[in-house]
Amino acid sequence: MPAHVDAALPPPTIRPRLAATIAGFGVLAAACCLLAPLVGSTSISLGRAFDRTIPFADNVDAQVFFVARLPRVVAAALVGSSMALAGAVFQALLRNPLASPDTLGVSAGATLGAMIVIAFHVDASVFGISAVPVAAFAGSAGALAIVYAMSVARRHGTSTTVLLLAGVALSALLGAAVRFIQILADFTDTFRSVRWMMGALDVGSYNQVVASLVPLAVAFTAIFSMTRVLDLISLGSDAAASRGVDVRRAERIGLVGASLATGAAVSLGGPIPFVGIIVPHIVRLVVGADHRLVLPGSALFGASFLILCDLVTRTAFGPVEPPVGTVTAMIGGPFFLWLLFRRAL
Amino acid sequence: MARRTWLAAALLMAAGVAASAQARRVISIIPATTEMLFAMGAGDRLVAVGSYDKFPSEVDRLPRVGALLDPDVERILRLKPDLVILYGTQDELRAQLDRANVPYYSYTHRGLADITQTMRALGERVGIAREANALAARVEADLGAIRARVAGSARPKTLLVFGREPGTLRNVDASGGQGFLHDMLETAGGADVLADIHQQSVTMSTELILARAPEVIIELRYGRSDAEDPRDARAWDALPSVPAVRNKRVYILHGEEFVVPGPRVAGATERLARVLHPELRW
Amino acid sequence: MALITTESVSFAYRERGPLAVAGVSLDVGRGRILGLLGPNGSGKTTLLKLLSGTLEPSAGRVAFDGTPLTRMARRDIARRIAVVPQETHAAFDFSALEIVMMGRFPHLRAFELEGEADFAIARNALAATGTAPYERRRFSTLSGGEKQRVVIASALAQATDVLLLDEPTASLDLGYQLEIATLLLRLNQDRGVTMIVSTHDLNLAATLCTELALLQEGQLVAHGATHDVLTPDHIRQVYGVIAEVAVHPRAGHLTVVPVARAR
Repeated sequence: MPAHVDAALPPPTIRPRLAATIAGFGVLAAACCLLAPLVGSTSISLGRAFDRTIPFADNVDAQVFFVARLPRVVAAALVGSSMALAGAVFQALLRNPLASPDTLGVSAGATLGAMIVIAFHVDASVFGISAVPVAAFAGSAGALAIVYAMSVARRHGTSTTVLLLAGVALSALLGAAVRFIQILADFTDTFRSVRWMMGALDVGSYNQVVASLVPLAVAFTAIFSMTRVLDLISLGSDAAASRGVDVRRAERIGLVGASLATGAAVSLGGPIPFVGIIVPHIVRLVVGADHRLVLPGSALFGASFLILCDLVTRTAFGPVEPPVGTVTAMIGGPFFLWLLFRRAL
Repeated sequence: MARRTWLAAALLMAAGVAASAQARRVISIIPATTEMLFAMGAGDRLVAVGSYDKFPSEVDRLPRVGALLDPDVERILRLKPDLVILYGTQDELRAQLDRANVPYYSYTHRGLADITQTMRALGERVGIAREANALAARVEADLGAIRARVAGSARPKTLLVFGREPGTLRNVDASGGQGFLHDMLETAGGADVLADIHQQSVTMSTELILARAPEVIIELRYGRSDAEDPRDARAWDALPSVPAVRNKRVYILHGEEFVVPGPRVAGATERLARVLHPELRW
Repeated sequence: MALITTESVSFAYRERGPLAVAGVSLDVGRGRILGLLGPNGSGKTTLLKLLSGTLEPSAGRVAFDGTPLTRMARRDIARRIAVVPQETHAAFDFSALEIVMMGRFPHLRAFELEGEADFAIARNALAATGTAPYERRRFSTLSGGEKQRVVIASALAQATDVLLLDEPTASLDLGYQLEIATLLLRLNQDRGVTMIVSTHDLNLAATLCTELALLQEGQLVAHGATHDVLTPDHIRQVYGVIAEVAVHPRAGHLTVVPVARAR
């Protein structure tokens, strides 16, 4: 290979690479979705699970498959997909490969919403969805509104760094509020909130999953409308504007889309760490930097990644499962360090 | 003359020993020990209680000095106690009491048998050994009676749940194979479906509930009116293959006595026995 | 008719704040190279942003071929005016070719992918700036001069009539400065690209530009042919420096040598 060619970078043409990306990651995601419900801590007979002659109420195998495992796999797919996508979008908008769905405080807002409901014992439930995820989503929407207002209030010439710093400050403020309430709350409530913050995908029913579909549909539509624009924005606001991008509008759509995706994901499964940072990076290692490939790749690989992490959670540790956040951190943390080392060398 | 001096000295020593064995200003930040003291008739010796103490109602008149995580050391010292009952894990508080030369009793929360053991030990420390032993004997007798009562019956596989998200089956916290809840369950004639998991508390996944297939599910509710809503029990209908759900043997029991390993433990155990063995006449 | 004109254009960064650019009127003919000169804070960069449509004037207007920029869609402007900024930083591992391909964005429809023609234009632009060998190199690993040439190629791929350059040689060493200047002259001569170059390097301006606009505190102090604007009087007035200006026998264009600070 001639010395001037960087072997790590992919060949230029887009169309075949797009097809390959979607096909490759798509097959992986489909495989995970199909195979994951077959595996678990209990051995079940698939034949029995799908046997229509046995009434569902008596069919343990069917209940394990359809009530315990399948909603969980679906939730993992949705949460992993949205967080990875949101992470990729935030990284592009903020021009920072270390950005994540947590960076601008949307996750912290969701945590605060959940915390308030837990600490004040709001025990209502709507359509089989407890108050906690509803409040989490409301909290994330609140944080999004603040971030959006900050972004709109910026005068021209204020860099994205200011937005990033403001988001970090907001995140810290909301995090402090959460900790403050935790200290004042009952011991059991504090424990409940800590557990919620570590993430859990054992939804047991489809109510929450269905409820999250609307914000996710809006978010995904918004995000996929601007894949190429993200490439240009990642070079700089002026660089994008001089090539014909309406930067203000794009930033707003991107922010709203990524924050909605984050809010829906966090209210469904809690603020699961590392998915939003790691998955886009892994995808970039495979497909390159073009966001028209990175975004679909992240959405698909994010689903696979979290399905696999959740699979490890429910099989590798005996009858008592650790929170899925510990598994994503155990895998994500070392990988992230390796990634940083690789870049530094 | 020498004999009288010797006698006087002996009498003084006895009086001294008797006097030092009495604690008259007791602070208990643990609900279980507070209840024990009241049940032994030593409630009038308490000068302060913990934040979570609720029983008996006399505790409402007493000042509160914090609990496991936030003991108010200043307040404790200002009340000039001669005995502080604290948790074995409260190292900082212990160190501060050592510095202030305040005696303390270190309490650890373990199994059912430890409850009566604590009663006796506490009785010694406070100086009411007679009443304490009587109380302990009563509790042990009551528990023994329950054990005997259910001895002949089959032990249903039971899941003892002490917490979950309202309205759903997320984050079901159940008693594992250790701790006084487990012991209570076994005494009441139930077979703990999580007996092989050596933890006090187990968070159950949906799959685990289905796999263990309990025949009886007992949910303990305490504290505030935790979901007094009777519809809340219907959350279990999501898993109809579980024998307890199918045979409608899901029970919700309210009461503080389930979470305080104190003198009311026998009554609590009997309540468990009643729902586990309705076939026996109670 | 002049390709780009500004009519009494002013801009303030804050409402009722100080004017960064105050009532500047100038025009640039097709195929010309205009230099914007002035000390720091004179409004060069702001004026450049007004000329590219990145900023909207607080007063006055900027027009391209007679049409005010404010009445043109952003994409339309991008098809006519391209900008080469002082520095370009890629947050992600784009290749040089990918950077150049981004210049094709204004010519593509919403979800259209680049085709063979676009790749040909991009490679052509790389060749024109001598950066073809770097096509698959990671942009962030290139040297300063190589990066700048790739960015110029990206602007070329945008296939515009006008190229705006902000301090194109500022952070480059002498060799690259010469390279860029030569490249720009060649592009102007071969392709007829109209250029507006903002620079604080008077000698570069003298090398490159046929006409100059001299700014001081947001106002246009002088505008005209290079030799009319680049005079010791103007330099003293605007920079506070006594300088000698003469045609260099070997280089063939004006050179400026600062001698002393004016008192």
